[in-house]
Amino acid sequence: MLSAHQIREIVAERDARRRGTGKKVVDIREEMETLEERGELVIHRIRPENEPVNVETLFGWTKRIPTTRLWHHKSCGQCGNIPGYPSALLWVMNALGKTYLNEPHQTSCTAWNYHGTATSNPVALAAVAARNFHRAYETDHFPLIHCGTSYGDYKEMRKLLVENAEVRAKVREILRKMGRDLVLPEEIVHYSEWVHAMRPEIVARRTHDVSGLVATVHEPCHYYKMIPEDAVYDPAILGGQRPAVPTGILLALGARVADYSTWYDCCGFGFRHILSEREFSRSFANLRKIRPMVEEAHSDVAITSDTGCVTTLDKSQWIARAHGEALALPVLADVQFAALAMGAHPYKIVQVHWHAAPADRLFEKMGIDGPAAKAEFVEYLAALKRGATPETLYRPHDEIEKYFAVNKGQVLPEEAPAPAVGGLTGAIGRALK
Amino acid sequence: MNPVLVLGGGPAGLSAAAELAALGAPVLLVEKAEYLGGNPKRWHYSLLAPDLTPAEEVMGPLLRRVEDTDLIERRLRSTVTRAEPRDRGFRVELSGPESSGWREVSSVILATGFDHFDSRRKYEYGYGRYPALIDFKEFEGMIHDDRLTRPSDGALPKRIAWLLCVGSRDVQVGNPWCCRMGCAVSIKQAVEVRQKHPEIDAYVYYMDIRTYGLWEDLYWKSMNQYGVKFVRGRIGQITQAEGGKRLVATGEDTLLSRPTEVPFDMIVLASGMEPGTGTKDAAQIFGLHVGPEGFLTPKLSDLNPVDSGRPGIFLAGAATGPKAIPDSVTEGMGAALRAYKYARD
Amino acid sequence: MSVVAHLPRRAPAVSVAAEALPPELELTGRRAMSPEDRRTAATIFQEFRADPRHHEFVLGCLNCGECTTGCPAARFYDFSPREMLQIAAVGDATTLWDGMQEKIWACCQCYTCNMRCRFGNDIAGIISVMRELSVRHGLESTRKVLAPFNRSLTLLMTVGTQVASDMIQPDFFKDWGPFAAAGEKAWAADAELLRRAIPIDVLQTTTSSWEVSVQTSLELFRIYEETGVLDMLRGLDPDLTEMLIDIIDERREEFEEARGRYRAEIEKMRGPVATFTG
Repeated sequence: MLSAHQIREIVAERDARRRGTGKKVVDIREEMETLEERGELVIHRIRPENEPVNVETLFGWTKRIPTTRLWHHKSCGQCGNIPGYPSALLWVMNALGKTYLNEPHQTSCTAWNYHGTATSNPVALAAVAARNFHRAYETDHFPLIHCGTSYGDYKEMRKLLVENAEVRAKVREILRKMGRDLVLPEEIVHYSEWVHAMRPEIVARRTHDVSGLVATVHEPCHYYKMIPEDAVYDPAILGGQRPAVPTGILLALGARVADYSTWYDCCGFGFRHILSEREFSRSFANLRKIRPMVEEAHSDVAITSDTGCVTTLDKSQWIARAHGEALALPVLADVQFAALAMGAHPYKIVQVHWHAAPADRLFEKMGIDGPAAKAEFVEYLAALKRGATPETLYRPHDEIEKYFAVNKGQVLPEEAPAPAVGGLTGAIGRALK
Repeated sequence: MNPVLVLGGGPAGLSAAAELAALGAPVLLVEKAEYLGGNPKRWHYSLLAPDLTPAEEVMGPLLRRVEDTDLIERRLRSTVTRAEPRDRGFRVELSGPESSGWREVSSVILATGFDHFDSRRKYEYGYGRYPALIDFKEFEGMIHDDRLTRPSDGALPKRIAWLLCVGSRDVQVGNPWCCRMGCAVSIKQAVEVRQKHPEIDAYVYYMDIRTYGLWEDLYWKSMNQYGVKFVRGRIGQITQAEGGKRLVATGEDTLLSRPTEVPFDMIVLASGMEPGTGTKDAAQIFGLHVGPEGFLTPKLSDLNPVDSGRPGIFLAGAATGPKAIPDSVTEGMGAALRAYKYARD
Repeated sequence: MSVVAHLPRRAPAVSVAAEALPPELELTGRRAMSPEDRRTAATIFQEFRADPRHHEFVLGCLNCGECTTGCPAARFYDFSPREMLQIAAVGDATTLWDGMQEKIWACCQCYTCNMRCRFGNDIAGIISVMRELSVRHGLESTRKVLAPFNRSLTLLMTVGTQVASDMIQPDFFKDWGPFAAAGEKAWAADAELLRRAIPIDVLQTTTSSWEVSVQTSLELFRIYEETGVLDMLRGLDPDLTEMLIDIIDERREEFEEARGRYRAEIEKMRGPVATFTG
């Protein structure tokens, strides 16, 4: 095995070499500083109030992960068909006392559509990114990107906006028409990086023993294959040769992480294929991922950290029964797994009923009383049907926000520092003060 | 006459030192390792391409020529830390266990050589994590000592693959150049394996075979005499299968236009050549120009490939780019002649 | 089943006289094409080569095949990223035209090829450029491929999310659950109830991934108008485009109405909320 010191040397060499070749790697953050000095854009900076934690990226650069006062950039696929994904994340944040805004004033990145149908273009994608970045900025909360594709797309768009003056000018013109301006976040942060940074706090609140579990990791392509220099690596995890997320949280929680031969393969999502050519996605997921995960690695659960991957790996297994295959490998996002280990309700919070592969055996191994939890949930559904008010993770938005991306009294960062207020559902409460 | 400083004790440096001594010039030979012989010695090179000459038969006489003369002052585990030009020649600061301090030298030959690419940087291969994944410089020692054992169970491997261009011709690892000898050495290794163990299947994954000039003969023989198999395509990733018993090499057979996924007992990586750490240091100490690849660049690479462009500083061997041993030896001779002429005038 | 089987083949060879084209656009087609297709192919080729991204994404190729190594599509389709790069690099309008008929849609956009390419090409990116051109020129094959996307395109253009839970219907996307695993019947009838049981207020809807405020959706539509996306879409499906404009017009009225209702609150606010007019 490699020592951490050896890996650091290798990583430094990677950086030095890549920067010297025709395929130049530039630290886009440095270019952003230059452009800000010239008044071409505003950098949405991570501030002490965001309580940042430092991690390392592919080339050994430092990336700051803000851990609180966050603006949730939701994923359309997660919210649409795996809602336990965002609710587990919000629940973990509440449990750790982190503050956030989760607003209706966000569009998706629209990159699923672009990668699936090409009915858009980079200027539109860049404008969408910049529009959402500005909204986060005006609320003085740092954007946390839930989706791997949004994360990849926003990294690409930030690079495009920094490197291409023409696109920058066009996007700024569009933004000004809607009363916004060009703001780029200092770091593009994926939620799994937040989970990674919060490992000690999460482990400290672990209520279920997962040491008997064998997990396999599916690494989301758009997390580390798009703008690879921004992905998080750690000399202590997988020899520093593969990304540290989401493997890091599994190891920290005490699970065994098993390798398998198709580790590098994508899940088969395909953007277009998952919706209109599903025989491909289903075949690919079952043959290239699920089967090796079960047969080679004997894994109890597949863990990944992106919308499309959970969707494809989970929802493609059902069809395999038509071929007499019943591998039934539970597929969860890292944060869902972490929430379960921290004692989150499997149905009310982790919403596993939206998953196609059954998790009952996994619950048994984790010491979670699945049937009891399900009964509670069925009871909760009945109560809702009778007209009970839904339980929520934060105080629901007011009616006016159905229409307007309201300024809830928050101030722009350069005008005045916002007061630090704690509390589980404090973000919105504070904003309304 | 003050001695000529020869920095580096690999094939080029040894050749330069021996040639200077033959001309009657005193030499200060400085080598950072504790032995002379450079990479061939360090990695126990087995047979040398293309004629399958044992490495000892080439390096042995070269070393003897250097060791059998009083004109060459050999300083091992030593480096030059500073250099200052004089009216003629240089003043250099030596650092080492036997002698440290400033020395006057009449001219300088930089034969600081190369380092093998560290295959861990091609991280999709998992080198450093998989025991059955072997760098071909290590494999040289294995065939030299006939230690061909499969790490998983100690048995003789049944199938071995060689991957060419690891850390060469690849901007993803930052090395766009060709190492010039990876093809020939890999083919030579495959031939050696097949000579000793005809029961082992040998596969070479390549994108171009660059056994240039008369070396082509080795390539042809490897097929028609030794049955080495060639697949045109690069391996993009290596993973473990069968609980770590085997490695799976995934690539495209570009002639059939199909992805391939083949299990092997052992995979050998033809790691490329990079400017050595000594070369980088020398460039800084002597204020020399390095190219975008990090190698030293001669002023006139066509007309005078051993002349650095700075008076009194000459270049030889892989310090200026990947080179085979005979080329390095030749350049050592050329640099010796130029340095001698400069020192004498 | 292969994507190729789904897609229409062009009509068998019809011999037509070659029209005068600039020499660099000489069509060296293996099959004859209609004059109209020839013109379109020539225009697409010119636009393709004029796109600054071509210069940036296509650098050269050693044909090493490392891109294809990790390509999911290459395992199931007659497709490889290496071939796509060759098509993009070659100076021939017909080859480009052929590649744009079928092959571009096999790509999964996973970017494995980009990460691996030792020459530094952006292969997934150049495939997107080809796709954009095929949409803009409304190629017949592209229309067929994208026909199933009307619903998700409508969602995307009007609220900015790709999917909604009401897409999960018994006869389609049944396996997306909920309760698909157990085969329970509860899920279909009670989609609305199950959404209400998600502890996040903005997710308690079935018609989009989350509730998007009207202002936000109008801002998004403004972006589409300003960046030519609507015009692109018109090339693909004019009816759909008109329908989208109608939906947005209604939403703009709704927004104005709401502005009247909330005038007092909004007047106290600063920033885009105070100035945005749809």
